[in-house]
Amino acid sequence: MKKDTHITTAFDRDLEAIETHIMRMAGLVEEAILNAATALETRDEALASAVRAGDKAIDALEEQINMDAARLIALRSPTAADLRTVLTAMKIAGALERCGDYAKNLAKRSNVLAQMPAVAGSAGSIRRMAKAVQLQLKNVLDAYARRDVVLAEQVRQDDHDVDQMYNALFREFITHMMEDPRNISACMHLHFIAKNIERMGDHATGIAEQVIYLVTGSLPAEARPKADNTALMTGTER
Amino acid sequence: MTTETTKMTARSVQVFYGDNHAIKDVDVDILDNTVTAFIGPSGCGKSTFLRCLNRMNDTIDICRVQGEILMQGENIYDPRVDPVQLRAKVGMVFQKPNPFPKSIYDNVAYGPKIHGLTRSKAELDEVVEKSLRRAALWAEVKDRLHAPGTGLSGGQQQRLCIARAIATNPEVLLMDEPCSALDPIATAQVEELIDELRTQFAVVIVTHSMQQAARVSQRTAFFHLGNLVEYGETGQIFTTPRDPRTESYITGRIG
Ligand SMILES: Nc1ncnc2c1ncn2[C@@H]1O[C@H](COP(=O)(O)OP(=O)(O)O)[C@@H](O)[C@H]1O
Ligand SMILES: [Mg+2]
Repeated sequence: MKKDTHITTAFDRDLEAIETHIMRMAGLVEEAILNAATALETRDEALASAVRAGDKAIDALEEQINMDAARLIALRSPTAADLRTVLTAMKIAGALERCGDYAKNLAKRSNVLAQMPAVAGSAGSIRRMAKAVQLQLKNVLDAYARRDVVLAEQVRQDDHDVDQMYNALFREFITHMMEDPRNISACMHLHFIAKNIERMGDHATGIAEQVIYLVTGSLPAEARPKADNTALMTGTER
Repeated sequence: MTTETTKMTARSVQVFYGDNHAIKDVDVDILDNTVTAFIGPSGCGKSTFLRCLNRMNDTIDICRVQGEILMQGENIYDPRVDPVQLRAKVGMVFQKPNPFPKSIYDNVAYGPKIHGLTRSKAELDEVVEKSLRRAALWAEVKDRLHAPGTGLSGGQQQRLCIARAIATNPEVLLMDEPCSALDPIATAQVEELIDELRTQFAVVIVTHSMQQAARVSQRTAFFHLGNLVEYGETGQIFTTPRDPRTESYITGRIG
């Protein structure tokens, strides 16, 4: 993964162990997102429960990464790129842990939604949005593993698409609620789900920024345009 | 307190030991009230360059120094400069504590005496006490000033050497691996003292411990094969070094 090695090979092993845990954690989070969205669409309560239970493993990995990072800082006093490797690992683990929580929340709400009449088309839209975010996470973790700044920047820019999907869903839910107030409960849950998926996208962007910091030593300066403009929406415009 | 006031300026400094080109075209500014650390692999020229700053290399026959080293505008290699006077202004502490085989008092009084800096016994007593206090040793030795310096512990001996170096009221203090013969507690005490000393002097320290450089200095210069590869703010050198050779060295990779 890196071009040259430490004189102390145990140092390399420690750093690699942390990265391996990050990659495992990311794999579990991606799976949780996809499974939670599938459970919502297929009303599969067993799958939703499995996602909820699976969050413990994600939390445990984050704790492991933080402990390993603290140990490495205490014992090996990392500097320069080594220090950034440790610092970014802790931040990326934190972002992944949040994504895991959102997936768990999605699964929880899907169990509630399974008791209500379906809102036409919504579960499919949510699943597509979840799929898009999972792809963002996959790409950003590839960028991390390969130290690929170009791909990380691409992920940052692509978050725009997730924001657009969220805006579209926001409009759709308002329409459903206005058409038939019996949809309100379900749409409220669906809206939280969409918002949480949008936040996972923000975490993927945050991870992309960490990758850029890891490789270059500085965070990207130029601000990324946010496309979530629902804060300005009244629900009356069409 | 860190100032950006330059105390010493080295320009295009070259050092040769016979045919061995030990320092290659080094430019560096040593700042006042700042600890500057010289780091780099063994044999890269740290000690050689440090010794240029008080003309200690003059004592080595085969050694030739070229270029300019200015102290407050004056070239210290100017023939009119007396190297002995210079060394009173640019003091030095060595790797192994080397007190003279004399009393604690005489070790500290030696410099002020030979440089004629005091006029009376009372004044000399005062300089000795002040220097031992600045070296954080006074409390430990005030009741046995006439005991031999060599009877002190290693850490105390090194602080005695620091007291001896500052007794002539220097402006710059050079230290060549001053802690390498000390245990961790004595090292911590000397490091604490170094931080204190920079309120009065420009301090330059050669260290093979990167952790020590990171702990005590505000500026770090990385030497490699006689070149000054990178010189900058210590935090920057240890977090985002600009040169890949610096990065390899400080992260413990084969450079
Ligand atoms: N007194 C000396 N006589 C001859 N060569 C020396 C002397 N001191 C140092 N050198 C040579 O100069 C180079 C730099 O040495 P030095 O300044 O001691 O490096 P460092 O302090 O970084 O370990 C080495 O090649 C060393 O062999
Ligand atoms: Mg040396």
